[in-house]
Amino acid sequence: MLCRVADDLFWMSRYVERAIGVSRLIDVTRHLELDAGDVDFWTPLVPPGIEITGDVRFWLTSDEENADSLVSCVRRARALARGVRESISTEMWEELNQLHASLTRPTAARDVRGDTGGFHRLVREQLQHFQGLADATLAHDEPWHFIELGMYLERAHGITMLLRRQGHLLTNVEGRDTDLVRWLAVLRSAGCAEAYARYYALRIEPARIVEFLLLNPVFPQSVRFGLTRAMESLGVIAALREGAGNDPGPAVRTLGRVRALVEHGAVDEIYEQGFDDFLATVQSAIAAVSDQVIATYLRDQPHAGRLVGVARAAVLMAAQQQQ
Amino acid sequence: MNAGTTELTAYDLGGFWDEMFDADGHVREHYAPLARRLATLSAQDVTRRQLAAELSFQARGITFAVNQDPSGIEKIIPFDLIPRIITAEEWQRIERGLEQRVRALNLFLHDVYHEQKILRSGLIPPELILGARGYRRGFRGVEVPRGVYTHIVGSDLVRDASGEFYVLEDNLRTPSGVSYVVENRRVLKRVWPQLFTDHDVRPVEGYPQDLLDVLRAVAQPIAHEPTIVLLTPGVHNSAFFEHAFLAKAMGIEMVEGSDLFVDDATVYMRTTSGRQRVDVIYRRIDDDFLDPLALRPDSLLGVPGLLATYRMGRVSVANAVGTGVADDKAVYAYVPTIIKYYLGEDEILPNVKTYVAADPVERAYILEHIGELVVKSVNESGGYGMLIGPHAPASDREEYRRRIEADPRGYIAQPTLALSRHPSWQHDRLDGRHVDLRPFILFSGDEVTITPGGLTRVALRRGSLVVNSSQGGGAKDTWVLS
Repeated sequence: MLCRVADDLFWMSRYVERAIGVSRLIDVTRHLELDAGDVDFWTPLVPPGIEITGDVRFWLTSDEENADSLVSCVRRARALARGVRESISTEMWEELNQLHASLTRPTAARDVRGDTGGFHRLVREQLQHFQGLADATLAHDEPWHFIELGMYLERAHGITMLLRRQGHLLTNVEGRDTDLVRWLAVLRSAGCAEAYARYYALRIEPARIVEFLLLNPVFPQSVRFGLTRAMESLGVIAALREGAGNDPGPAVRTLGRVRALVEHGAVDEIYEQGFDDFLATVQSAIAAVSDQVIATYLRDQPHAGRLVGVARAAVLMAAQQQQ
Repeated sequence: MNAGTTELTAYDLGGFWDEMFDADGHVREHYAPLARRLATLSAQDVTRRQLAAELSFQARGITFAVNQDPSGIEKIIPFDLIPRIITAEEWQRIERGLEQRVRALNLFLHDVYHEQKILRSGLIPPELILGARGYRRGFRGVEVPRGVYTHIVGSDLVRDASGEFYVLEDNLRTPSGVSYVVENRRVLKRVWPQLFTDHDVRPVEGYPQDLLDVLRAVAQPIAHEPTIVLLTPGVHNSAFFEHAFLAKAMGIEMVEGSDLFVDDATVYMRTTSGRQRVDVIYRRIDDDFLDPLALRPDSLLGVPGLLATYRMGRVSVANAVGTGVADDKAVYAYVPTIIKYYLGEDEILPNVKTYVAADPVERAYILEHIGELVVKSVNESGGYGMLIGPHAPASDREEYRRRIEADPRGYIAQPTLALSRHPSWQHDRLDGRHVDLRPFILFSGDEVTITPGGLTRVALRRGSLVVNSSQGGGAKDTWVLS
């Protein structure tokens, strides 16, 4: 398949997954605020080094200045989908196109303010529907594997990010009730409160939450699950390239090493070695995999046309007479 | 009494040839079932279907970006619910006329890029051809597979006040609009399926497969299982939706210039598993931009080395390079001569009377009658670069007068036609709007294939004669009865 198409599918899929994560985070934090009162739960959600003057919730949801806001992610995913709409199914395109249209409508801002919970739930459902359509309407061949790879790398990255930003909630400080509310919020932010309950059938505890989110082999939101699936798809992609007589590059080994880390890790060891260090290691490994995938598979050779004069190219594209 | 019946009797012909009603205001026979169907519905019901159709286009993202506007604003082409119906007999004649035209134009293109017999015959002034902006001197002597220059043609037909079909222009470079033919049909079937039970309408869904057959037929013999790609200028182009639509329907890759490269006289695309050879390029990029080494050095859209490879016969390009010479609007005036010269036949579909400003006598006529004529720049399309004399302010007429005097070769003029009208659904009632018809003609070297019907474009602004989508035109589903 074309490098450009693979590139766009990979990022489209990442932005959709990222949007789901952002939406869940906002939804949960809003609930947390209602339950646990006068603590500022919003500021820790802003990455270090970024100054925000206005409302954090707006910054996360609709701020176009924030490249990772919910609306920005959907906009970017939709723009990429539009460029490769011949490679995705009509159903996928229409789902994303309609979601984008509903988010950019003038009344969309009112929906956000009016019924936050309903709004985020609706958006999330449509994005997850999009992911379901990708699974059900595309052949599970190379383009689909790039979509999978993007989705699972993004998800694994998103969960580690969530644990770093909400890690402060996983402590024993207050009374039992309040702690429980905070811990549940972390699980809900990852969309796995119910699955956790079913899996452990035990009281909720911070260490078990960490174990569940990082090391669980069967729950689709866990980092281990995500990296395993990413590995499967990368394996197929690499084999195709090797089969054509070309070097599959270092991404397979980098991904294999970080997956081994979560596959053979234990939660007490992780705490001993330093929780945040561990998360940082996993995160930078995922970033390295992403970079290596891009270098090997998506930039087979430098694309002069893509790197130089993008604005000029847009003008020329538009000017091509279609009679 | 119901609203539908009321509307039909209140319809105003406005003194034009109407596709649905005869001069006495009676419904033409082939429209009778449609008229009966309309009479059973209330105006609200028809409007509801109209809205459903518009929503469907929006939801499916069937949009075009307005040319020269890279801000990326996407619009839908307004869809007019009431279908245009063409009888089998009318269509037969159109089909024969278009086939004749396309065959003659391909022989003409072959000739002007080889022996140039027609130029020596004295029938066409040689400077008109050799000086045409679309003439590619450097491609003289290049062999194209199966002698096909125009694999895809979109000719614009209009009907005048007498009901006669004329060819207004031929689009021989990168004709667009065929995706709307297919999509308009799909949407009308979805929002008003009952209509199709009353009529025997010929399907249009075969176009992409027919196009694929043509593209496969012109692959160089070295390719056993040819790799075919569609070369698009990219997402900012007005016809990007169509490019994606066709690539998807044919199951071929849609590529941008930067996805391709040339090595050792072979065109390759960059894929995730390495390079892959390309045999046929269906390009939707103008000649000038295909190869920065050959034509426009500043083009970021093309592929360096593509044209040298093409010249060596190692990749096929559809449409061929240099077809623009035959859809130059001044050369158009000579198409009846061209048909006679190469086929020995009279033209089946007449041309619209055309005054070529390069000719001193005709130029004098144009300058004198500019207020009655439509003046067109010979190389523009999409409704750009034209003056409709009777509707234009005096200052515009002066401007065009100056332009014609400065560059006579650049302009032609035609009488302002009383384009036929068709009922259109406007503000809860039927109202007449001017229409044209663009059939799509495929040529593989042996066979000419024409998808039944084509794109009916509608000038939605009341009284307007401009049907181009870039200028506020809409489109209708177009039926050919079997």
